[in-house]
Amino acid sequence: MIQPNLTADLCLKCNICTAACPVAAATDLFPGPKAVGPQAERYRHPRLPLPDASVMWCSACGVCSRVCPHDVKVAEINTQAKARLVEERGAPLRDRLISNTELIGRLGTPLAPIANLSLRTRPVRWIMEKTIGIHREAPMPAYAGSTFRARMRRYCVEKPPEQNDASRVTVAFFHGCSTNYYEHELGRITIAVLEKLGCRVILPPQTCCGLAMQSNSLFEDARRQAQQNVALLLPFAEAGIPIVGTSTSCLLTMKYDYQATLGLSGREVELVAAQTFDVFEFITTRLRETLDGLTFEPLASRAIYHASCKLRSHDVGVPTLPVLRRIPQLEVTLSEAECCGGAGTYGMKREKYDVARQVGSPLFEQAREWGADFVISESETCRWWIAKHTRLPALHPIGVLYRAMK
Amino acid sequence: MRKQSTQLLVIGGGATGLGIAWDACLRGIRVVVVEQGDLGQGTSGRYHGLLHSGARYVISDPVSAQECALENAVLRRIAPATIEDTGGLYMACPGDPADWPDRWLTACRQLDVPVEEIEPAEALRREPLLNPQIERVFTTRDAALDSFDLLHMLTHSIRAGGGQVWLRHRLDRLIVDNHRVVGAEITSLNDGEKIILEADLTVNATGPWAGLVARLAGIEIPIALGRGSMVAVAARLIHTVVNRCRPPADGDLIVPVGTVAVFGTTDTHVEDPADTRTEAWEVDKILKTGAEMIPSLPQHRPLRVWAGVRPLYRPEQADAEQTRALPRAHTILDHAERDGIDGLVSIFGGKLTTYRLMAEHAMKVVCRHLNVTAPCRTADTPLESGAKSYHTLPGRLARVEPQAPPETPPQIICECELIPRGDLEAALRAVTPLELDDVRRDLRLGMGPCQASFCAYRAAGIAHETLSSVPQDGGLGGFLQERWRGIRPLGWGHTLRQMELMRRVYLELFAAQDLMGEEAAQ
Amino acid sequence: MTSLLVVGAGLTGLFAAVLAARRGASVTVVARGRGNLELSHGCIDVWKADPPLAQTINHLPDTHPYALAGFEALEAALAAFCQITTEADYPFTAGPEDSLLLPTALGTIHVTAYAPLSLAQGHMADKTPFVLAGLSGFRDFYPALAASSLKRAGLPVEGTVELPVPGAPLRRDGYATDLAYLFDRPASRQQIARVWKPLLAGAKRVGLPAVLGLRQSSAVFLEMQERLGLPLFEIPTLPPSVPGLRLERILRRTALNAGVQIVEGVPAVGQAGEGSRVRGVVVESAGRSRFHEAGAVLLATGDVLGGGLETTPDGRVRETVFDLPVLHDGDRARWINPALLDEQPFERFGLRVDRHMRPLGMDGTTVYDNLYAAGSLLAGADRINEGSRQGIALVTAFCAVEAVLG
Repeated sequence: MIQPNLTADLCLKCNICTAACPVAAATDLFPGPKAVGPQAERYRHPRLPLPDASVMWCSACGVCSRVCPHDVKVAEINTQAKARLVEERGAPLRDRLISNTELIGRLGTPLAPIANLSLRTRPVRWIMEKTIGIHREAPMPAYAGSTFRARMRRYCVEKPPEQNDASRVTVAFFHGCSTNYYEHELGRITIAVLEKLGCRVILPPQTCCGLAMQSNSLFEDARRQAQQNVALLLPFAEAGIPIVGTSTSCLLTMKYDYQATLGLSGREVELVAAQTFDVFEFITTRLRETLDGLTFEPLASRAIYHASCKLRSHDVGVPTLPVLRRIPQLEVTLSEAECCGGAGTYGMKREKYDVARQVGSPLFEQAREWGADFVISESETCRWWIAKHTRLPALHPIGVLYRAMK
Repeated sequence: MRKQSTQLLVIGGGATGLGIAWDACLRGIRVVVVEQGDLGQGTSGRYHGLLHSGARYVISDPVSAQECALENAVLRRIAPATIEDTGGLYMACPGDPADWPDRWLTACRQLDVPVEEIEPAEALRREPLLNPQIERVFTTRDAALDSFDLLHMLTHSIRAGGGQVWLRHRLDRLIVDNHRVVGAEITSLNDGEKIILEADLTVNATGPWAGLVARLAGIEIPIALGRGSMVAVAARLIHTVVNRCRPPADGDLIVPVGTVAVFGTTDTHVEDPADTRTEAWEVDKILKTGAEMIPSLPQHRPLRVWAGVRPLYRPEQADAEQTRALPRAHTILDHAERDGIDGLVSIFGGKLTTYRLMAEHAMKVVCRHLNVTAPCRTADTPLESGAKSYHTLPGRLARVEPQAPPETPPQIICECELIPRGDLEAALRAVTPLELDDVRRDLRLGMGPCQASFCAYRAAGIAHETLSSVPQDGGLGGFLQERWRGIRPLGWGHTLRQMELMRRVYLELFAAQDLMGEEAAQ
Repeated sequence: MTSLLVVGAGLTGLFAAVLAARRGASVTVVARGRGNLELSHGCIDVWKADPPLAQTINHLPDTHPYALAGFEALEAALAAFCQITTEADYPFTAGPEDSLLLPTALGTIHVTAYAPLSLAQGHMADKTPFVLAGLSGFRDFYPALAASSLKRAGLPVEGTVELPVPGAPLRRDGYATDLAYLFDRPASRQQIARVWKPLLAGAKRVGLPAVLGLRQSSAVFLEMQERLGLPLFEIPTLPPSVPGLRLERILRRTALNAGVQIVEGVPAVGQAGEGSRVRGVVVESAGRSRFHEAGAVLLATGDVLGGGLETTPDGRVRETVFDLPVLHDGDRARWINPALLDEQPFERFGLRVDRHMRPLGMDGTTVYDNLYAAGSLLAGADRINEGSRQGIALVTAFCAVEAVLG
């Protein structure tokens, strides 16, 4: 895979990326992806300090890379530049904390009631903002009090099982930190839907994908996490078992960023990437026939579906939309926004919160105008963020499918 | 017709001419430099950017080698802001003569050219794109020098020191009176004015035109012209100067200059000093040999080609056609001694790296004629501001990156080269009549990846807003045509895309055919 | 299964997708990025020379796309296009006898057949004197430059004026898109109009750079006219071109609403075929290649700039998806003429097609039964000198869809 910064010379300066960038549209603090990407890259010396901190406003939504007609890896150039800056200047404690999603999950789970209460208490949030810099309004999920894995022991396996039932596809469910520590219901629903579609679901050993570390430019940590994750999932990939999940951002990281952004290479990384799928990507391709054969119950309501930027970067289009449109009486409109603004941990930060909100405001506006009853989005951080700013419930599309499949 | 007189007339505003004029200023001599084009339009502005360590010539031209090694240190002292201290690597690729590196190493040691052998793995760590199969590699004190910056600093220093530099002034004839050159007839290309400039002594420092100028005094000088082409690649693939460790040949050097990597050169005999074309075989050759040093080169975008014409001394017995083999050392001809024509000294040859030394040597002859005894001070007098630190790659980006966000937009006009509007306006006012290509030489306008596709329009618009007299198209047509000329030899792949983008924007979106055509015809 | 797979999301590809989807086909568009509409004036150029195309079409060489398509098809395609844009509340106007004479940002005249209302109002057949307005701090439009040439051509330019834009980016340079987003907001429009009105007192007609909104541009334009009490017209300026982006957005939304699946960010790299039929196209997506199966494939990949044709230093010109034979000159030295303004041989390179838009092989027979090509990928036209790019795009897309759907 070609190194991203070497694609900078393919840039013709057409500015299509700048025109599509949701952060540049929201704030003049960000020069735009072309400016901080292929343009600035020509001035970055590998052995001299980086002079431009304005690249830190990039939220890594990836739209720029996707719309570039000349194969410039704009987003990856920006992400790598941010990583160098952090390497040179260091990362604040806050960033180290919030990027360690596994640790936050593990520490908070036994203290769930207290943790959940505190995170909703104004004075506590105010102190958090003043001390470590997490904005007091940033939405935070509620701890479930136990781990999904502990609740679903019967699905957990140590190694790939014998696949002797040819009529059922074995699927390894990558639950990710959010389902494991917070959204058990979503995990249960996902397993139910996959089983209904004829799969045998297993929970392989796995760990945090490392995306939050990558997004916070802590590349050493991210690479370590990535290598651990790959090692755990490798036997399943080798056995040809698809690795499927609902946290579309995590799956994209495993499928793509491990190699393109973090620069990892080798048979193991490639094998795991080849077997990684977003859940709707998976069911609309590998389980197509069964899916097409289902009848859906009506769900009389209006919904706005925000196909999160990370889903689009899977480069599979928006496979969810036609499925949702098959559900009777469900009126779904597609969000026009490229990005909801939350961008993972970006919107949590005190100094970025307002910009993040600006980025998402066209989406929140569209939801209001459409009269949406609820929001649909693949990525959990998108759901939490959009729910907060629209005050609407936010569901993963598989949750909508589940309701229509009853 | 205006009459003026001076002590020293220097014809030619390249590094040599300006170097001589600066040296003269410091010795209190009144001097006028007359240059036919814009600053840097001649050979000095068409060079590959290499500040020689001397290592390249230790075997083929030891005199040059030593001079380069000494002047390398001097230039770092007097003009550090023009130099990026990249360091250099000499590498032997598979297939290069195996005995050469040791011979070369010995010669370096003998001539005091500092070099050091390192492990290929170390070189690859520093420059990951180099050919992984290099067999031997050495570090040297080569560096990258921006000749436009240098020419500007020299001009500024000369003018501040009381000298005059006349740009875009054409020499029409040398005034010879009784076997003595007493002056010159000059036409200003800015406004057509004719000037008679009388001088006690005239120096012919016109580089490849030296032969033609000498002929104006009825003198023949032994000069051969070797055209060398270079290709700039849009990405800076290496951050160290890279030379091939083998007998000097075509295409064996790569220099990171500013934001590009310059690959070169070739050496073809030409007759016309203005023959700066590049032929397809030269491009192919440069890219082919370049790929021997950087195997991934075909994946990268060649940005532009250009050529410079080297004036070379042609000893009687040498074959003028084989310009690659001619010595690079400089030649000073005192025509009073050699041809019986007083009042004229010619100097040509040499390298940009040794311009100061060439000037010092020329001044020995000049001072003898002018009866000046003041010593040479150029080795210890810094040019211009005498900035302490070397020029660095991130410098331009740092300058436009706001520390605290400003309250008004920076108005970056050329985004590729990060040129703010204020700089452009100042440069526009300094160039009359308007030639955006001259502005380009001052600022690097349009020298980036888009080759002026975007900034040409902006510059033309700003010209209309800033200048009272401006061509209808704001200088667009000529400027873009110049850009087109230099990218056409690379017209395939990604470069062809860029060219098509330029046509779409200017000929479809701006429907500019008639406008630009008119101006071009004028 | 997808009945029509369109490769390329420029004017040609999106228009074809809409036409096919509205006729009931299941359509998928795969594209490397977002197309070159962002570089264009956003108008429909059909034929700029005299005599008009209706008279000359029969004298065109029979390899010219217009000759292959026929005048009737062109009229039908243009009508379909106008219907689509009218439905999207972005109506296009034709000039008398199909020629609008529109001022450009350089003060030259752009001859076009159809233009959106806000641009068409700049038709120079209207002799009302006008003022050209530049926008403070906006570096991509220079009224003095344009006024100079327009005046010399005898057009009634009364002068220029500079208008400040409250709310425009301050901390970095703004692009036309930044200003357009500003105009999309009602409160901003109100504020701007209040500031501009007194500065335009005495003007009878005002020409501005095209920045009056991106999303609801017709309404925005009409509102601004009303608030200022003056006829206005827009002039497309340096890319990112807002009129081009408006059109791109409208076609993309129309396609999505018609059920077209659009997959962005995926370069098409190969194909699979069997005998005389293609089975589909292989694209590079995140982490792996994907095969998109389809009943028919339409190549709308563009020319060298669009990525449909690839040129190499040894004089070869390759069609990038199917490696179809390309009409071209094998001697690289003859591709490009020395002057930028000259006609350029390489611009005529492309695919030869039959009347059904099916690519022809070296022997003049169709290569595949279910493969089609349209737009700038086709050989035989000198689009820049003819002023025919968009006309060819629309009519060849139209003919291809007719051929696919019967």
